[in-house]
Amino acid sequence: MKVGVQINERELELEVATNSTLIDLLREDLGLRGTVEGCGVGVCGSCTVLVDGRPVSSCLVLAADVDGRVVTTIEGLGRNGALDPVQEAFLEHQAFQCGYCTAGMIMAVKGLLAENPRPSAAEAKDYLSGNICRCGTYEEVLGAVATAAASSDGGGD
Amino acid sequence: MQPFELLQPRTLEDALDRLADDEEARPLAGGTALVVLMKHALLRPERLVNLKRIPALQGIDWSSETGLRIGALTTIREVEQHQAVRTWFPALAEACHVVANVRIRNLATLGGNLAHADYQSDPPAMLIALGARVRIRSVSGEREEPLETFLVSGYQTTLEPGELVTDILVPPPTAGRRMQYLKFTTRSAEDRPCVGVAVSLGLEGTACRDLRVVVGAVSSTPVRVAEGEELATGKVLTPDLIDEIAGRAASAVDPIGDVRGSPEYKRRLVQVLVRRSLLGSVTEVSA
Amino acid sequence: MTAIGTSVARADGPLKVTGQVQYTVDTQLPGMLHAKVLRSPYPHARVLAVDATAAAARPGVVVLTAADLTNLDHAFGVALRDQPIVAIDRVRFVGDPVAAVAADTPEAAEAALEFIDVEYEPLETVMDPEAAAADDAPVLHPVERPRAPMFVGWPAERFRGSLNVCSGYHVEQGDLDAGFASADHVFEDTYRVPPIHHGNLEPHAAVASWDHRGHLNVISSTQSPSIVRLQLAEIFGLTENQVRVVVPYVGGAYGSKVYAKIEPLVAAIARKAGRPVRLVLTREEVFATAARHACTVHIRTGVRNDGTIVAREVRAFYDTGAYADTGPRASKKGGYLAGGPYRIEHQSLTSYCVYTNKAPAVAYRGFGVPQVVWAYESQMDDIAARLAIDPLELRRRNLIRDGDTFVTGDVLRNPGLDEALEAVAEAGDWGSPVPEARPGFAIGRGVACAIKSTSTPSNSAASVRLNADGSVHLLTSSVEIGQGSTTALAQVIAETLSIPVSRVTVSLPDTDVTPFDQSTISSRTTFSVGRAATDAAAKIRQQLMSLAASQLEAAVTDLDVDEGSVFVRGSRDRSLTFAEIIRRHFGSPAGSLFGDSVFQTRGGLDPLTGKGKASATWFYSAAAAEVEVDLETGKARVLRIATSADVGKAINPAQCHLQNEGSMLTALGSALFEEVVYDAGQPTNSSFLDYGMPSLEDHPLEFHSILVEHPSEDGPFGARGVGESVISPVAPAIGNAVAAALGGARVRELPISPERVLAAVDQQPEARA
Repeated sequence: MKVGVQINERELELEVATNSTLIDLLREDLGLRGTVEGCGVGVCGSCTVLVDGRPVSSCLVLAADVDGRVVTTIEGLGRNGALDPVQEAFLEHQAFQCGYCTAGMIMAVKGLLAENPRPSAAEAKDYLSGNICRCGTYEEVLGAVATAAASSDGGGD
Repeated sequence: MQPFELLQPRTLEDALDRLADDEEARPLAGGTALVVLMKHALLRPERLVNLKRIPALQGIDWSSETGLRIGALTTIREVEQHQAVRTWFPALAEACHVVANVRIRNLATLGGNLAHADYQSDPPAMLIALGARVRIRSVSGEREEPLETFLVSGYQTTLEPGELVTDILVPPPTAGRRMQYLKFTTRSAEDRPCVGVAVSLGLEGTACRDLRVVVGAVSSTPVRVAEGEELATGKVLTPDLIDEIAGRAASAVDPIGDVRGSPEYKRRLVQVLVRRSLLGSVTEVSA
Repeated sequence: MTAIGTSVARADGPLKVTGQVQYTVDTQLPGMLHAKVLRSPYPHARVLAVDATAAAARPGVVVLTAADLTNLDHAFGVALRDQPIVAIDRVRFVGDPVAAVAADTPEAAEAALEFIDVEYEPLETVMDPEAAAADDAPVLHPVERPRAPMFVGWPAERFRGSLNVCSGYHVEQGDLDAGFASADHVFEDTYRVPPIHHGNLEPHAAVASWDHRGHLNVISSTQSPSIVRLQLAEIFGLTENQVRVVVPYVGGAYGSKVYAKIEPLVAAIARKAGRPVRLVLTREEVFATAARHACTVHIRTGVRNDGTIVAREVRAFYDTGAYADTGPRASKKGGYLAGGPYRIEHQSLTSYCVYTNKAPAVAYRGFGVPQVVWAYESQMDDIAARLAIDPLELRRRNLIRDGDTFVTGDVLRNPGLDEALEAVAEAGDWGSPVPEARPGFAIGRGVACAIKSTSTPSNSAASVRLNADGSVHLLTSSVEIGQGSTTALAQVIAETLSIPVSRVTVSLPDTDVTPFDQSTISSRTTFSVGRAATDAAAKIRQQLMSLAASQLEAAVTDLDVDEGSVFVRGSRDRSLTFAEIIRRHFGSPAGSLFGDSVFQTRGGLDPLTGKGKASATWFYSAAAAEVEVDLETGKARVLRIATSADVGKAINPAQCHLQNEGSMLTALGSALFEEVVYDAGQPTNSSFLDYGMPSLEDHPLEFHSILVEHPSEDGPFGARGVGESVISPVAPAIGNAVAAALGGARVRELPISPERVLAAVDQQPEARA
């Protein structure tokens, strides 16, 4: 079926199968492989992307359901070759190890800061607790959130 | 996930027609449960009727006369964040807030949550404590039913083929009503509830005018602690009385053993958590 | 130079924060098919017939069954070659591969699986390792499997019981009976640990293809490219240079991807298909592919009134699941470390590696050690309580010291254990009053410490290439699994060559290009590969000095290296940059210099005595925990944890701390709630919906990571290793804190679930605060 969707600021008209999920669409059809799957049931958060600015598990969204929506993935962050302040903060705090959860974690932080540009540590924990990092790099993620929130544009868009 | 036909009605009438045409067609709401079941081939519908494009199923309305109307396709996250919900039903906002994670709450819908009738869930118990009803439509008409009777058993409701939940209706709270939702997990903080306790308490001075206590996630449906509620009517909730109600709660449930706890443990927890919830409500009263 | 001891930014950072990083799951090859695996629904059954005719008749579908393996040496396993690529005549756990299918899409492959008919005859199952070791237990492998050439085996006959005992280990010293006779108190307990899941977020993935030379190309998420190459060569009758294993970045492993896992199956079906085939496991399949060993530990300890431990007997039953995998090695390691980091005159330590009808238990961060540490460090606090000795003081009195001989015969040099223990005690306010708990709650503190060894003997090769512009490339088969090896290895090279770290890049493994490395396991990469890389870089340094000596007309002994230049000591103006030296040498600004080195550790334990040299270096660690227990629900919440590890030398302190934080959190999950649950042989929580791992909200409210630096003899710049150190002491520290909160009531089986806490309180009513 036909889907009209804006992905990372590009307007696209795509043909998708009904049983295709958003992560399939991103990875297989569009080659946007920064978004990865970890559990397939919406628990781990590795596949987090923003749909209309809100974080969702792309493994559970039917591709057909992004018709008319705005999707942002890790590849859509940053402007003119510069990294997004959240990405910069993750680098500064070394807030990753194996990196498999990182794209999803960064997108979740984007969602958090868009809703709440100056989150307390408790609010950040509550919001991000559903993004699992088995390497355990949690304190650094919280540090990165604080840094990104303090940066001039608050890390939000 | 195996292929299927996806119907995309734009009106409720159209959706109901589609469901009436094909009894095997399944309605698709947020998809967080259905897509998981389909991925694991536990369900293999040939036709899905997608409800997301139907404006009539969206939105939240509040009036002090009629209470809250929540469109069935409203996401859990929208319910949790809605100003009227936070103002008038803070415990419902809490019961929605503790569901899964923010990504799931941005997708899952309240109507889908209730129709799926998973026993390990938070909102149903709270909604029952608040006296919520569900409005149900089919091509042959409309009916309303208390949520309490709508949920029949695990994954079972009174929905007949062709019927859809269209709205969740919550009556306005009486003045000064206390309400609380307590989710208890035995494992990771991200786990689903081992026990959920919902309390809604109406007061006449310091005495209880009416009380609802509902235990969720323990039996195949949320369990109202009717005997305990009756004990409370017209009385001041003293610690002794609260202990007695908590004891009734523990006898009222028929716990399901699972990876989150044995039936014996869950029964014991129910007693502790009901007592804590009621003590919390009373403390709130005296404060 | 300050390249080491500095938390330089991670080399892979820009790739990982932008999503540009490539994992095996991202691999796409032209004409690639997708594989799906048909798995056993029975925990134990005879396979009477597999009929794949209907599946194979579907368009574009290739099927692999046991019938396709007849011309292969198909059974694999790094200790015992007991694991068939797909079931031959028997399945041994729920999820055991029975057949595989490749098709154009994963959906088509999935659909084709349903057209394979399998006839099973269910067999009696055995799920408990101790029951499986008994001589009347149902036997999983009626025919003893051949040993893999790499494995120095123990004669399993000594440890039977049942044929299910596939390996065993025993060591002793002193006279156990005399030891216990001299004890004032004897403590005898049984501790249990369930299987847990690795939780590698990137599932196992592999892509295999065969070219027209008959060479096999594999891209895999393995931690062991060099060994997987060997294993594939053995299976398919190839020479090592006919197999190429490439490993992209790995999205989490923790042991789950050590040695061959899915690679033989993917290679076999790709061979039949004549096309590239990719297999990415689902989460449920990851649960069916790897787990940590469940273990039952019987521990008996004799102590004098002054707290001196005089005798210890341990018998540990490691549940290796349906196939041995690394079980014989993990149980051996757990066996000789079961006495703990203590001077104990009389010891008898025995471990059994036992088959059961569970998913295979494999390497897991800590490699068989956390299981025994859980036992001996928990019992330590029971001893302290009965003797009325402070638990920290009891440990102090018994700790091994510099120059002590370990039970294996190893002499321990410069252990940082006492310092590690004192550091966590201080950070955890040990000895100061415990904060007052809320009504209905209790707060307790606990400490624990541990010792771990590294895989020995082993070897690692490194090849350092100096480019004409003075930049440097390290070729290594060590795998970047997130531990930061591509950064730390660049640091040791930069230090050796006196150049900025940014001038060094580190390869990912490609066995056609990169030299042998044993595996990215056992906290050994910085120690072994780091040492090889340092030595290789030193050879480049030597070459540069020799060349510069003639170019500068100076004696080599008068030269030194700094900031990318060679200069004459005492006259810095007589200097040449590396680029200038190469340009002069080759007569053009093009070319490269190579430096190669192999670092080899020697040792091993004698199969009969259990003695010898167990380890090339040792890891010492400690933890202190403060836990709040809800006395009515039994739920424990970790308020704070301090961990310490003797890392020898912290090459990159920030990465060392991250390793400790990760070890701590995995241990916290295993302590409080992680468990793979089986019901009548069926796994019941093989999904993240039902298997929870620690989240941000589970993180202790306060966490300290302390690095102790007692240099090792052989590691680069004194480094030891850090990847696994902290995982062992955390669970018993939490357990000891819970027991302290409960006035001594103790949970002896992990996880310390709320339900078990209440049961412990019920059995010891005076424990109620």
